[in-house]
Amino acid sequence: MADAVETPKLDRKDFVSDQEVRWCPGCGDYAILAQMQRVLPELGIPREKLVFVSGIGCSSRFPYYMNTYGLHTIHGRAATVATGLKVANPDLHVWIVTGDGDALSIGGNHLLHVLRRNVNVNILLFNNRIYGLTKGQYSPTSPTGKVTKSSPMGSVEQDLNAISVALASEATFVARTVDRQTKHLAEILKRASEHQGTSFVEIYQNCNIFNDGTWSFATEADVKDDNTLLLEHGQPMIFGKEKDKGIRLNGLAPEVVTLGDGVSEEDLLKHDETLDNPAHAYLLSRLMYPDFPVPLGVFRNVQRPVYEEQVVAQNEKAVEERGEGNLHALLHAADTWIVPEGPDGETVREVSEEEPSLSDIIPDISQEDQLAPRTSLQHFMYDPISSLDLPTPHSIPAQTSLSEAIKLMRDENAGCLLVVNKKQRLVGIFAQGDLFEKVAGSDIDLQNTTVAEMMTKDPTVLKASDPIGHILHLMSLQGYRHIPIVDPDGRPISLASFKVMLQFTGGLFAEPSVN
Amino acid sequence: MADTPAEQPAESALQELMEVESIAIRFAGDSGDGSQLIGGEFANTSAIVGNDISTMPDFPAEIRAPAGTLPGVSGFQVRISSEDIFTPGDEPQVLVAMNPAALKTNVNDLPEGGIVIANTDNFTRNNLRKAGYEESPLEDNSLSNYRVVKVPLTTLHKEAVAHVEGLTNRQIDMMKNMFALGLSYWIFDRPLDPTIRMLEKKFGSKPNIVDGNVSTMKAGYNFGETVEEFQVRYHIKKAVVAPGTYRAITGNQAAALGLVTAAQKAGKTLFYGSYPITPASALLETLAALKNFNVRTFQAEDEISAMGSTIGAAFGGAFAATGTSGPGIALKSEAMNLALMMELPIVICNVQRGGPSTGMPTKAEQSDLLQCMYGRNGDSPMAIVAPATPSDCFDMAVEAFRIAIATMSPVIFLSDGYLANSSEPWRIPNPDDIPAIETNHPTDPETYQPYNRDPQTLARPWALPGTPGLEHRLGGLGKEDGTGNVSYDPDDNQHMANIRAERIARIADRIPLQTVMGPKTGDLLVLGWGGTYGAIRSAVKRAQQKGQKVAATHLRYLNPFPKNLGDILQRYKQVLVPELNMGQLSLLLNGKFPKHVISYPKVQGLPFKISEISDKIDDILGA
Repeated sequence: MADAVETPKLDRKDFVSDQEVRWCPGCGDYAILAQMQRVLPELGIPREKLVFVSGIGCSSRFPYYMNTYGLHTIHGRAATVATGLKVANPDLHVWIVTGDGDALSIGGNHLLHVLRRNVNVNILLFNNRIYGLTKGQYSPTSPTGKVTKSSPMGSVEQDLNAISVALASEATFVARTVDRQTKHLAEILKRASEHQGTSFVEIYQNCNIFNDGTWSFATEADVKDDNTLLLEHGQPMIFGKEKDKGIRLNGLAPEVVTLGDGVSEEDLLKHDETLDNPAHAYLLSRLMYPDFPVPLGVFRNVQRPVYEEQVVAQNEKAVEERGEGNLHALLHAADTWIVPEGPDGETVREVSEEEPSLSDIIPDISQEDQLAPRTSLQHFMYDPISSLDLPTPHSIPAQTSLSEAIKLMRDENAGCLLVVNKKQRLVGIFAQGDLFEKVAGSDIDLQNTTVAEMMTKDPTVLKASDPIGHILHLMSLQGYRHIPIVDPDGRPISLASFKVMLQFTGGLFAEPSVN
Repeated sequence: MADTPAEQPAESALQELMEVESIAIRFAGDSGDGSQLIGGEFANTSAIVGNDISTMPDFPAEIRAPAGTLPGVSGFQVRISSEDIFTPGDEPQVLVAMNPAALKTNVNDLPEGGIVIANTDNFTRNNLRKAGYEESPLEDNSLSNYRVVKVPLTTLHKEAVAHVEGLTNRQIDMMKNMFALGLSYWIFDRPLDPTIRMLEKKFGSKPNIVDGNVSTMKAGYNFGETVEEFQVRYHIKKAVVAPGTYRAITGNQAAALGLVTAAQKAGKTLFYGSYPITPASALLETLAALKNFNVRTFQAEDEISAMGSTIGAAFGGAFAATGTSGPGIALKSEAMNLALMMELPIVICNVQRGGPSTGMPTKAEQSDLLQCMYGRNGDSPMAIVAPATPSDCFDMAVEAFRIAIATMSPVIFLSDGYLANSSEPWRIPNPDDIPAIETNHPTDPETYQPYNRDPQTLARPWALPGTPGLEHRLGGLGKEDGTGNVSYDPDDNQHMANIRAERIARIADRIPLQTVMGPKTGDLLVLGWGGTYGAIRSAVKRAQQKGQKVAATHLRYLNPFPKNLGDILQRYKQVLVPELNMGQLSLLLNGKFPKHVISYPKVQGLPFKISEISDKIDDILGA
């Protein structure tokens, strides 16, 4: 932050706006606002570079109270607005203030995507496990069974674990803190700000009107040390008022153990927030009251390229490769023709240097093209047999005499005949091979022997929807020279011959662009 | 050619070269048959010989439908003319059908006596079955109303390229459409040279590919001359075209170029946030390829995010735009209203498609007009511009940004699938002649207030985050003018609603007055908007030639209307409004002006035919 050096030292009051704060007296939001206003001067970020973006809910009033740039947007969408803002101007320091309903219910989709993109913003999720602004309905983090105005017999919904959701969304920085633990809160805010990429911070926040005491197990002086676990990078996981309890792994399952009695610090799980594999952080996110102490602190802190920086880098790369965009050239980037002055001049055509792209010629059909196989192998693997132009087979009834069959093969230059029953269903195949093996040289009455007696019965067949690769596979494995293609009722519709397949295979190695 | 087709007529018919003003040809086949490609090339050559052109692709209804089936057919229609034309034509005089399915899906559009060129090699039992024909229509007299030319195209093509070495079967197969192109060139008296030169330029390094393509194209041309199957050839005179450099352009291409041009003319980043949707996706794709113009595209996770991102980007100082179709507008509306309340300049492109619900995504309608006018909660006036032709999408996209920046408000650019995908020649403008778009960002904390307004335009200042001393908060809550502070005060709310309405109304002061084509007063005014321009204009021209007192006018500004529109309506005895919806513009006009307009609605997923509007005009005038 080179610009910070020049900035005059700011203090808390510089970040207090002229707006009257209108949260209910006693709301946990006050503590968070105060810590934010205390921490920001220490970060050395010029005030004009800060933007607070919120959605809808009690917490979303936050930007009005910060004397910085701010956007109070619509329910659930703060992440989308923040993303656009960061792409337009990556220099800004953007904080998203949201709640459990805003981020995990109506805005769940956007939360997932801002995290996976790793936009360099800081997300503060004020989790009070209730809808406060609408006066007390259950939220996606309200525990199952929670009785509220909209769940008078108790909520029947499974609640979401915000940290688990963030980790599953590929978040690079994930932390949890509590409104009442101001020092810890301040420390986490600082670390979130410093992280490059999306920082996700869940803040246990008390709604003293509609859900008072929902986090008391983690905030009340007499129990909080036994019910929370302070995560410290590189340190064994010890907790409890007497610092005598720890978390140990039993196989893949964590368990609470008491130190002493044969259990030493060495046996305990050690915290490493920098692990690339999120499994450790996820395991911690599943430590839930009352079976376990809830972890507070940084679950995960890893580096991954920042979304908006990559977007801008592509701009720079494009300029490097193609030069600064030139509008004149852009408008002419197609086949053009020049109509001269006067009636007799000849029109001149300028062919664009660029290869014609399909989307130039078939605008808006590119989805279709993108689904088309790109490589020979894909053609081979995925294209259905129906995409081949296979010849229609010669079908004959089973009672056809051998002499007729041979004549037909000679006349039509057919390598094989398909033998069908009265319902036109395939019953056998009569190929040149059968002629050589069963007929030639033996004393058979060609007039009075039916083809059914000499054919190969129940030949291997394929369906038009099978991949082309199956034909080649059978031919190479079994040495078949002909494979009938039949419809779902077993009636032949075409014939895959060795010859046709050889042509097809040759075609796989063609230049993809012919005209 | 060793082998001429068996169906050659016994007696040589007379080949006559018929001079016509305008003719349309449709190429149809499987996607792999390259109908679009040869259609486009046919259009290019026609443009070079001096005809006016208009093209329209017809996409298969299903993605990757199996080859040879009815849903797999794609088509491309080209109309060429010696006069200024505005539409790809009602019905093609010639249909090139590469297989039975292509014949079946297209033949009903052909007028009696039209020419069908069928590739008989593809009329196999299997393909006939896939198209649902019991018997080959080429053999059973069912096409007796048409002139059917049976061409064993694949066979002839293979012979034509037999001498070319080093071609794979697949390459040979892909070239066969060039035979059809050559034959079409013969029928319509077009030269081969432009295409030969194009092939040489594009495939110069692969002489056998040039040779193969050229050989088969020539074979197609010679086939026309040799077989004497055709009683008539057509010649279309040169059109009188303004001098300049031209290219063919579709509406979506033009809109994308317009958005980039606007940003460039302001020296700004173009931010385009969008979620893929037919038929608007080409905007996102085209813009994503222009990163060296400082274009930043954001493929959002959904329509709402796409709209939200433009709000952030506009707040951050970029030229922000999004694009979608009707279903996307529905999802975006809440965020559009936020942009309206925050008073941020954003262009929202709606490439309309058939609705309601998922509707007919690949078909065109103009049925989102009322959605764009009124489809948001609260009183939410928003400016709407509507391009009239594919190339007009360029001008109106620039104009949309101009209005957005001047008024600090979101503007809807209302295109449709027909405009988006049709192409026409575009006389390429010199970008230096396009006026710069001025943007002002305040820096003085002493005089700054977020909602201090320009007394003329009522626009608030566009202060950018990063500017010291101008820290301010914007939001969707009711607010006080000037400070922008949250306010539920009754007078404040009324005042802000008035301001928002007035700000849009005043746009009428800066847009051009509405003009009419034809007599200044008369019996009938045909009033349209959007992609119906070509059909209306052509029909009105015909009516005028018949001596009817009919004029046409086309609205490119739908909110606000041009100032003189009410006067214009009064000058005609009757006003007819053809629209590809159930009468939405008519409703607006009848609500706003004393003149009662006659609605002519159509929602068949198809553009208006010239003849439909002509008939309606005759109907009304009792002709």
